[in-house]
Formats: sequence, C-alpha cells, structure tokens
Amino acid sequence: MGKKKSVVLLVIYTLLIAVLCFICTVSFSYGTDGMYAFSSVMRMMEKDADLGLAYGANADAGAYLGGGYSAVYYPEGVISAREYRDDFADNPTSEEAQNYVRYPDENGPVYLEKDVACDADGKMTNSFKTAFADALETVTARFAALRADGARVESVGGYAIRVFLPAMMDGEYTAVNLFANTGELSLRCGTDEATATDVFSVRSDETIADYVSAVNARSAGETAYVEFVFTDAGREKLADATSGAAETAVTLYFYVGDALIINLSVSEAYDQNTLYISGSYTPETAATVAVLMSTAIGGSEDDLPLTPADAYFHPALYGESTVWMLYLTFGIFFVAMMAFFFVRYHRLAFVHLYTYLLFLFVNILCGWAIPFVYLSVETFLAFLCASVLLCVSDAVCFESARKEYALGKTMTSSVKTGYKKCFWKLFDLHIVLAVIGFLTYAVALSSLQTAAFVFGLATVFSGLASLAVNRFGWAVMMGTSKRQGAFCNFRREETDDE
Amino acid sequence: MMSNKRLRLLPVWAAISAVFVIAGIVLMALLGFNNALDLPESKTFDVYYNVVVDLSEERKASLETYCEDAFREENISFAKKQTLEGQAAPVSQTQGAFSPTGNDFLLRYTFTADVPDTALAAAMQKVNADIEADDAFAQATAAETFVSFDALTVQPMNEAVWRGAVAVAVAAVVALIYVAIRFGPGCALTGLVACVNDAFLTLAVFAIARIPVYTFAPMLYAAIAAAVSVTLWLIRCMKLRDDAKTPAGALSAGECVERAVGATDKTVLLCAGTLLAVLAVGAACTAATGAAAVFAGALIPVAAGLYSSMLLAPALHVAVKAKFDKLKKRSVRYEGKKKSAKAEE
Repeated sequence: MGKKKSVVLLVIYTLLIAVLCFICTVSFSYGTDGMYAFSSVMRMMEKDADLGLAYGANADAGAYLGGGYSAVYYPEGVISAREYRDDFADNPTSEEAQNYVRYPDENGPVYLEKDVACDADGKMTNSFKTAFADALETVTARFAALRADGARVESVGGYAIRVFLPAMMDGEYTAVNLFANTGELSLRCGTDEATATDVFSVRSDETIADYVSAVNARSAGETAYVEFVFTDAGREKLADATSGAAETAVTLYFYVGDALIINLSVSEAYDQNTLYISGSYTPETAATVAVLMSTAIGGSEDDLPLTPADAYFHPALYGESTVWMLYLTFGIFFVAMMAFFFVRYHRLAFVHLYTYLLFLFVNILCGWAIPFVYLSVETFLAFLCASVLLCVSDAVCFESARKEYALGKTMTSSVKTGYKKCFWKLFDLHIVLAVIGFLTYAVALSSLQTAAFVFGLATVFSGLASLAVNRFGWAVMMGTSKRQGAFCNFRREETDDE
Repeated sequence: MMSNKRLRLLPVWAAISAVFVIAGIVLMALLGFNNALDLPESKTFDVYYNVVVDLSEERKASLETYCEDAFREENISFAKKQTLEGQAAPVSQTQGAFSPTGNDFLLRYTFTADVPDTALAAAMQKVNADIEADDAFAQATAAETFVSFDALTVQPMNEAVWRGAVAVAVAAVVALIYVAIRFGPGCALTGLVACVNDAFLTLAVFAIARIPVYTFAPMLYAAIAAAVSVTLWLIRCMKLRDDAKTPAGALSAGECVERAVGATDKTVLLCAGTLLAVLAVGAACTAATGAAAVFAGALIPVAAGLYSSMLLAPALHVAVKAKFDKLKKRSVRYEGKKKSAKAEE
C-alpha cells in the first residue's frame, strides 16, 4: 500500500474511532443553563438492577438507581401488628380487637383472626396452613414464570408472603398487584358488570380447564396481547353467550377470584377457539396477565385471598459503586493489555489498539441497541472473556508473522503467510466459542442467557476484528513506516557465516 | 516411548476427578450449593418510621443507634442493613407504577437464620424501651415508629438452574461435534470428557468447599468451565492436526500427544494465566461490592479447565488416540482388502 493511501486511510480510520469513542463515552449538557443534554451510549445502556447506577437521558436527575420493589401479601385473617395497633390502639378491649390473637407469641409481627386463621386459643389452624401453602406455591409459580432476573418470593414465618421484583421491568407494579389475586379464572358476559352472568357455568364434575385450555402472551411488533385458547366446549359456550352481541353489544368480564382483570366489549357473536385481547399491554404486562390467568385455570374458589401491602423500594444488591468498580477493572485490563503489546510489538501495538477500540465500541453499541442486553456483572464478565480472546488472537497473528519475518521473508509476505497459517486455527476457535455462547443463550434463562449472548456476539466480533480488521489496520499503518521491521519490533534470525 | 510423566498417570488424574466429582454430586444432591449470599433463610428486624410528624434526621440516626446497641447487648450481629423507602400499597389496578409515599421508611437489619428469636425479641423490647424513654420521640405521636421481626424462607425457583445445565450440555456437545468434524472423533471424545469433567469438577468444588455463591452462579461457572475447557483443548488439537499433516515417521499415539503437549503447554498456560489474572483483577477491584464473589468464583472454572488441559485430557488422549489409530489402521486394511478383491475379480 502506498504511503499517501495509507495516510488517508489511517486518518479516516482514526476519525471513525474518535467519533465512536465520542458517541459511546462522552455525555454533556448544552444550551442555556444546560437545558439540553447529550447522553453517551454507555450512559443510555440499560444497567442491571443489582448494580445501582443512574442511567438514561435523565441520569443526572437520578433517573434510575437499580434495586427493586418488595411487597407483603397478607392472607385473609392475618394483619400486621402495626395495622392492628393503628386500628385498635384506641379501643383494645373492643369485640373486634379481641377477635385477633398476636402470633406466634406476644412479640409476634402479626395478628391472626380467630376462626379464620387460628382457633380460639390462637393456634394456627391446619386448614389455614394448607391454604397458605397452596397460595405460596401459586405465587411462587407466577413470579417464576415471569423469568425476571432477581425475582424473589419468601415465606414470612408461614403466615405471609414477601415478594420482590428488580426495578428493570416496565410493570413491576402490575405484577405485584395482579399476582396477589387468587382463585379460579371465570368469564362473565353481560351488558354491565352487575348483571353479567357466568359464561361457562362450570359443573361440580368439571373445572375451568374443561373450557379454557391455555392463556398465553403474544406480541407482534409493537403490539402485545393476551391469547385465550378455548376448548371446543368453551368455544360453544362463548358463542352462545355472545350470540346476541350483534344486536346488543355485551362485555366479557374476565375474573380471577373476585377481582376483575379484563373487560372486553363484544359487538358480534364470537365463535372461535382463540381470543386475542390487546388493549394497552406492553410485552411485560401482557406476560403478567397471561401468567396470572394461566395459573388461575388451576385455581379454586377455596383459594386463600391475599392483600398486597407494605411495599418498599430496595437499594441495589451489589451497591451503587459497583459500576465504577467494573469500569476500573476494565481500565486496569486495558492498560495492562496495551503495556504488553507496546513492549512486545512497539508501534504495531497501535494496530491492536485500533482493532480493540473498534471491537469495544461495536460491543457497546450492540449492548445499547439490542433490547434484552444490559450491563451486569455477568455480561461484563462475558465481555472480558471475549476481550482476552481478541488479545490472544491478535498476539497469535503477530507471532505467526514474526516467525515468518525471522526466516528472512519480506514484511508483506510474512504477514500474508503468518495470517494464512493461523487463519483456520483462529476461525475454529471463534466458531466453537460462538456456538457455545449462542446455544447457551438459546436454552438458558435470565442472567446466564444474556451473558451467553454477549459472549457469543463478542466472540463473533473478536473473530472479525482479529482476522479482518486487524489485518487491514496492519496494512494501513505499516504503509506509513519505512522501517517495517522496527515498526513491528520483528527481527531477522541471525545466521553465522562460516 | 513417552518421557512426559504426566501422560502416563491417567489413572491418577481420573481417580482425582472421580473422587471430587462423585463427592460433589452427592453433596449437591444432599445439601445443594451454599447460597448464603442470597440468604435463603434469614430473619429481619424492622424498625418502621414515618415522617408525617417530622421525624428528624437525628432521630432517624438515634433509631439506628438504639438498634445496634440492642444487638450488641444481645450479642448478635446483622448481615445487612438497609433503609427502605415506603411505596403506596400496590392495590390499585389503574396505577401503573410504584410511587413513594414520601413519609414511610423502614430501617431493616437482616440476620442469618440461626440468630435466636429470644435475642431478637429482647432487642425489640430494648429498642421499644429506648424509644419510649427518648424525650424527642415521646413528644411525637405514638404511631411514628414500630419495631418487629420476621423469619423468612426463600422459595426455590429452579427453572433457570436446570435450563442452564441443559444449555451448557447442549452447547458443549454441539461444539464438540464441530471439533469432531474438524479434528477427528478422537479429539472430540477427549474434549467431551474434559468438558464434562471440568463442568462437574467446578460444581463439585463449590459444593464440597461450601463456597458461598449466588443462586444463578453455579450454571454460569459451569458454562465458563465448558468454554475454557474447549478452548484449551482446541489449542492441543490444532497442534495435533498440524503434526499429523507433516510426516514424522511412525510415531506412536503417546509420542504424538507428547509432542503436541510439549509444543502447546506455554500457550495453554499463557491463555489460562491471562484469564485468571483478569478475573483476579476484577475480584480485587470489586472487593468492596457484592460483585467480588462473582469474579472470585469464576477463578475456579478456569483453574478446572487448566487442570484438565494440562493433566487429564492429554493423558486420556494417549489412550483415545491409540484406540482410534488402531481402528483407522484396521479400516484401511479392510479397505485395501476390498480393493484387492475387486481387482482380482
């Protein structure tokens, strides 16, 4: 490559890196009184709730601090000792106050209602214990089905349920609110809620599962919706119930227990096995409603009613400084990496530097642009592993060319032969690791899934960077130097003349 | 004749792995992993306070002092301290997001499950007594603080764990099918054994040493072990393939493996060493945060991968390669016989 051409390409390459660096890392305010803000891609990238760092366009105002929300589900017949004090502090001897017993002892955090949760002696009844165990199982199944990284369900002393969701979803509130509804799924139809009648009229030898086989969440583009799949019997009953809808519009009311979850206006007879309800759902809220409805198919009218209360915001699990510590780790890695390359390869290290920076910024852009990718300790770990892979790959290429140069070949020939010798080795290595990353992503869930995807993607970028970008950079930069051996710190093998 | 001693010690490496893996599997089945970082069983000591009646910052601080004095007196120490901000009760279906009430706060101390209820009850009485004795609190209404304690048990959500295990297994098998195509079934077989060994060895070390891990972490470590194992084994395979291309006389399987191992030891050590160093830096930098455990734990799968790549896999591959070479020779002989029979016809 001619020197002029090299210089032009190098300038363009440098400008590209500089622009990417600016876009990815620099945030600033501008305009009168800093009214407008330019947020870097790094700032906009979604962060794991465990990390706890403000991010997004309003990061300066502390838009997001990680952490999550918890709430306690109190079953019917159980109230907190604080609520008891608030309700009965003025009249502790009233009949209503006497109807409660502090549990499990005089220091207990809750009061149980006699004949509902405990007997006259204040002993928790077996029927309550069984109903509570069932409710706990249902709530756990619902939160597990959300597959939210960091979701947590705890039994509080066998009398209440504490739930926690990380502040990473759009609808933590919706989930915590809806998942407290226990009981059987039912569908009523009528012109108003008060006069609506049960569509399926489930007989004693049947369950709602005989009419509704599944409830799923679907999304197409921006639209998310809940899909009800009816059995043939369910379809017939629904067709009967809506047969007069063309004349008089009716509303379908979907209940879980006594709580109305969805109402849907129907203006014509509905005679299909599948019913789609879109409304104003996001993919997350649609999934929440579908999980609730789906678990309610197995519910019964004897299910323990739960009331959500005592909601709190929790700080991030790992602490607020974790993101900065991750950046520090990266800084140390970067400095050590460049020190090694500069010491061993002198100015050839610039080739690796440019390759690595391009790799870094492309990864940052992908982390921001791909909706399910976010910065977490696991994804950072995956990125670091791929970074090590790129460093090793670049070093292998350089060493391969160094060996060829030592044998007396020209630099161009050394680079060509060096790359030829290590191309398939590096290709195989990257393919195998990318396969591991993407297949793990395809099967695994939550944090491992995201980390595996990041690893797979970064491995692909590492392969491209090492086998294509690095070679291009080498050709461009070497063209600017007259003493190419010195540029790369390559030496010829010394032979003794006899 | 192999001069490299480690290649002749397959029974020793296999026995070491077997002992660890079997003990680990038994412990995993009986006790699971040490998920102490997630506090699967815990007790919380909560001091609720609200600021409707202007609970000043000093009085908030004095609540902390009362609690911590009471814990000291009862000889109990907490694992975590948090101040939680109260949110409106999530009972309205029309509301879309949590919103802070602005006046409810909770000072929460989390203890391990072995802290006796009697000690917490005594601490609660003491904190209540201290609050009552404090003039600043006495002047305010009685409803502004409330002390209670609870015992909590986390409900297991195992889908992510078993899906993670399946994912690692599927990924490793498919990756090794690629290895079989590119480097031969012998290399893939040894790689598979090494991969399985490393994943299980990693999990076994966590189970046996009772190293505290987050619930999600074991499968992440198994995945790292699989990836490291395959990478390091591939480095050996590449050299073996290169050597097979160049005619080097009639080398035995042992000699072939020995040559490849000798030539690639430095690369393997450098790769694993670099990764170990990066992870150690990560653990050191995040030492003051909860993320340090994730980085520190990741050292184990890399070390497991290094162990099998240096010791188990090369020793095993001597036997595997010998077997496959024999099969290959037999098949070549059979092909030759078939050809000569055809020619005679």
